[in-house]
Amino acid sequence: MSMHTVHAIYASAVFVVAYALITTERFNKTMIALAGAVAVFFLPVINSDEVFYSRDTGIDWDVIFLLLGMMIIVSVVRQTGVFEYIAIWAAKRAKGSPLRIMILLVLVTAVGSAFLDNVTTVLLIAPVTLLVADRLGVSPAPFLIVEAFAANIGGAATLVGDPTTIIIGTGAHLSFISFLANMGPAVLIVLSVLLLLLPRLFPGAFTVEPERVADVMALDEGEAIRNRTLLVQCGIVLLAVFTGFVLHHVIHMEPSLVAMTGAGILVIISGLNREFYLSSVEWETLLFFAGLFVMVGALVRTGVIENLAHAASHATHGNEFLTTMLILGVSFLFSGFVNNVPYAATMTPIVAEFVESIHGGANSGVLWWSLLLGTVLGGNLTAVGASANIVVVGIAERAGNPISFWGFTRRGAVITAISFVISVAYLWVRYFVLR
Amino acid sequence: MRAEDIDENFPVVDIDSDALEAVRLLAEHRLNGLVVVTNTSDTPYAVLPASQVVRFIVPGYVQDDPGLAAVLSESMADHAAEKLTGKTIRDVLPKQRQVVPVADADDTIIEVAEVMARMRSPLVAVVKKNKLHGVITASRLLGAALRPDQLSAGSQAS
Repeated sequence: MSMHTVHAIYASAVFVVAYALITTERFNKTMIALAGAVAVFFLPVINSDEVFYSRDTGIDWDVIFLLLGMMIIVSVVRQTGVFEYIAIWAAKRAKGSPLRIMILLVLVTAVGSAFLDNVTTVLLIAPVTLLVADRLGVSPAPFLIVEAFAANIGGAATLVGDPTTIIIGTGAHLSFISFLANMGPAVLIVLSVLLLLLPRLFPGAFTVEPERVADVMALDEGEAIRNRTLLVQCGIVLLAVFTGFVLHHVIHMEPSLVAMTGAGILVIISGLNREFYLSSVEWETLLFFAGLFVMVGALVRTGVIENLAHAASHATHGNEFLTTMLILGVSFLFSGFVNNVPYAATMTPIVAEFVESIHGGANSGVLWWSLLLGTVLGGNLTAVGASANIVVVGIAERAGNPISFWGFTRRGAVITAISFVISVAYLWVRYFVLR
Repeated sequence: MRAEDIDENFPVVDIDSDALEAVRLLAEHRLNGLVVVTNTSDTPYAVLPASQVVRFIVPGYVQDDPGLAAVLSESMADHAAEKLTGKTIRDVLPKQRQVVPVADADDTIIEVAEVMARMRSPLVAVVKKNKLHGVITASRLLGAALRPDQLSAGSQAS
């Protein structure tokens, strides 16, 4: 057995063990990822150049700094109270009807999630959801469940909507506009179907006593805005940041640099203390990503990724349609049960190999869209399929309205199955029929 | 001066007693906490600070997002204490049992103060021979800590 094979087996073993431990959710995933990274440092083919300076095998600093920049921006923006304002305003527009409130909160969550991290969006919308449900005298559980769905679906629409989309989009060098143009329509269709299904997903959950409606209408959303000057400042900077995302190819500035520039400007002009502008920065998450990239980089460096891609390509005989559906199906299945971030980090170099190897792959973008749709939308399947789901279950439990695993999964299975069918149809029609 | 020299008789409530009654006791006597006992033991089970009761009536979503406090209408805010209806002291206490701030009867003022500071409790239960002897509040402790001339200087100033 050659040393190259030994290295490959070692790197694979480290990764599989780490992935399994992360999936159990019983250990601190950052510590596991960092321990896995340290374990692969012992490989002779891994050195500091590989880890810190290699685009192919090292830490993807674009992802890390894009995440960091967006976290800082969110930290500052949330000080304004604008999220609460929007959510309460939306609830009042629904005139106290629980179904209409749910529809509007789903839309607010989905749009918010397209531009912010899914978990952050859910954490911002949950307190208002609990408030509105409390005032109406209804259970918040159905609202929280669909908000998790909406966060996952909305997060698939843009390059910055989810850590998974950031990893895949950055690894595939996708532009913000291209991402939105290709993923946006599919996301809109899935979201529309979710809205149509709401009454069927939660029959009987929309009954409310008329006098309770007045309580919701009495909420004063204007009081939610805590700093109007900061709100205006944030609005201007956010507009500039998203313009920068859209035009990043034109201005030759990667999204990570755009995000960090926006974050820096907001920190300076807001005058906020460090405890506020860093309040949404999850340092553990950033370290988790770093550890993950090192482990996946070791798989790339030892040839494991290349071999996997060749094996899968051999199975599909290099057929682009079959490869697309294989990626989609496997991604939907895996994402429903395991943390989709390590899955995305692993699949990105594999799909990159596919893109290279597919014969006459002029339409190779479809492989990335299938990976994205499967990885992000598949997360709706179970209560552990996505971080937003886990957060929502925790919030519901603390609020005294627990959501059971089966209670979530029953609805998640419906949404995921429909998302899968829509994804198959969308990819087939747009990239193979209408090519 | 020892703990047993400065402790006072203090209202004590049973863990399964009505929370609203306990809150009336706190409000009427302007107390900053209550000692909680069970019917199975002579030693204190817990100290219920008034701040814990206040925290209980603040909805969880407001504690998660303090900005929502301003959004609630005045009528909603005025009915906040209704959350205590039908609840017992057991329901209001933190889910995880807290260490009780306790001092021995022969502890010095500094030892009592150390317990109060470390546990951030507004009162300390004094125990003698495994039975509740009395309670020392923060103001009582400070009064005992001041020398007589410091106490009288304060009285003259006011």
